[in-house]
Amino acid sequence: MYDKTVRRRRAVLALLVVLSLILLTAYFGEASSGGLHSVQRGFLTVVSPIQNGANKALKPVRDLVGWFGDTLHAKGQRDELRKQVERLRGEVIANQSEKDSYKELLTLYHLDNRLSVKDYHPVTATVVAKSPNVWYSTVTIDKGESSGVRVNDPVINGEGLVGKVAQAASDGAQVTLITDSSVGVSARIGTSNATGIVQPKVGDPNDLLLQYLPANTQANRGEYVVTSGTVSSPDDSLYPPGIPIGQVTSVNEESAYRSVNVHPLADLHNLDVVQVLTAAQGSLPANLSRLAANLPAGQQAGAGSGEALASTGSTGSGP
Amino acid sequence: MNTGFSASLVARIAVLAVVAVFFQIGVVSEVPVFGVSADLSPLLVAFVGLLCGSTIGAATGFAVGLLVDLALVQTLGVTSLTLTVVGYWAGRLRELRDPQAALTPLLVGAAAAAAAAVGYSLVQFLLGVDAPVSFELLRQIVLGVVVDVIVALPVWAIVRRSLIGGLPDDPRRRRRRAYTTGGLSPLSRS
Repeated sequence: MYDKTVRRRRAVLALLVVLSLILLTAYFGEASSGGLHSVQRGFLTVVSPIQNGANKALKPVRDLVGWFGDTLHAKGQRDELRKQVERLRGEVIANQSEKDSYKELLTLYHLDNRLSVKDYHPVTATVVAKSPNVWYSTVTIDKGESSGVRVNDPVINGEGLVGKVAQAASDGAQVTLITDSSVGVSARIGTSNATGIVQPKVGDPNDLLLQYLPANTQANRGEYVVTSGTVSSPDDSLYPPGIPIGQVTSVNEESAYRSVNVHPLADLHNLDVVQVLTAAQGSLPANLSRLAANLPAGQQAGAGSGEALASTGSTGSGP
Repeated sequence: MNTGFSASLVARIAVLAVVAVFFQIGVVSEVPVFGVSADLSPLLVAFVGLLCGSTIGAATGFAVGLLVDLALVQTLGVTSLTLTVVGYWAGRLRELRDPQAALTPLLVGAAAAAAAAVGYSLVQFLLGVDAPVSFELLRQIVLGVVVDVIVALPVWAIVRRSLIGGLPDDPRRRRRRAYTTGGLSPLSRS
């Protein structure tokens, strides 16, 4: 009895395995138009409606299960997308910052070519800190005495004059912006030779006032105000001539001297990269600076370019 | 030994197999868990073998495999071959060890799922189907086994509940009968 059961069990197993192998071999070996394929297609034809019906009937079940899965999946996707957004936002900010820096460097490069500020040994520096108050009258840069930066060195950016170095440490310096009340820049209106002093406008530190112009000075709205390349006192900085400062917004004629309101060209609220015009020993600007510093007290700087100052020790208008 | 080929049992297994295959195709296959779908067919076959014995297990494996191959338009015989072996093995386990531990369905389900996946892959490779032997394939197999283990207990409960009325020789009932008649009672031995 036991042997018979065992034999039958093994025979069934062998039969099923052999049957599977025959099916497999025959199906695998025959063409797609063969008998087994036809049977399969027939089965599919018969079962398809049932499958469709079952599929529709089971759709709510599938949707219910899928809802849980989709919710979990969506949460995972949401977290992943949030991380991606954070990463991309960082990249965008970095790219924007680099783009701005590139623009500033490009304009600085063009300014270099236009004004030949290379003679002044410009040191490119990055603004690392800004004055926390709303006036932004001082900024800190990452270059100092170790890079040749000295007190009173002019500071420019691609748009125009920014200010001057107020304090210099070995690896950093504080720059006082032209909107600070302590700064006075000898300047002229682009088309005329009349010079004056640019200082912050009282009550509006974002605007400048070009003062002490001769009464007959012609000034029109929109004209550019540039540095004159002269100093009005031995303590002043010698700014290279022709550096743009701002544009004339209005003209005042209330006194013996004419004054014009000037809107600064440089965006002093968004400084990133600046250049400090250092004067290396023995260079022309250094000689000019030394000459300016040796002017007798009270002597006024004259109109004209830096070259004129160098050759004549010129005097100019002043307060 | 009673092989249990009663018409009632065969009918129950047939209904169970058809429902399971359509449920597999219509629902389970479209609900991925961990990137893979559960495969109910090896679980069904193994549990039928575990409840009914090796002959019925092997026959169920062959039939379910054939149904799957026909319904999914796969190479006929591949799934039949692997599931026949799975059903036979589960049946032999029941006949030789008659395991009653609570974790038996989990272990049997895991082994059945692994055997079916590996066997199916092997046959496909033997047939020359182009498929890279990669870490991804191994990952799919392992994750498939894990997912099958997760659904093993519910499937076991359904299969057992469906077939229990048609089982002529349930091991627990047999033992219970033996105890009540004194055949296996410790008191009767002393």
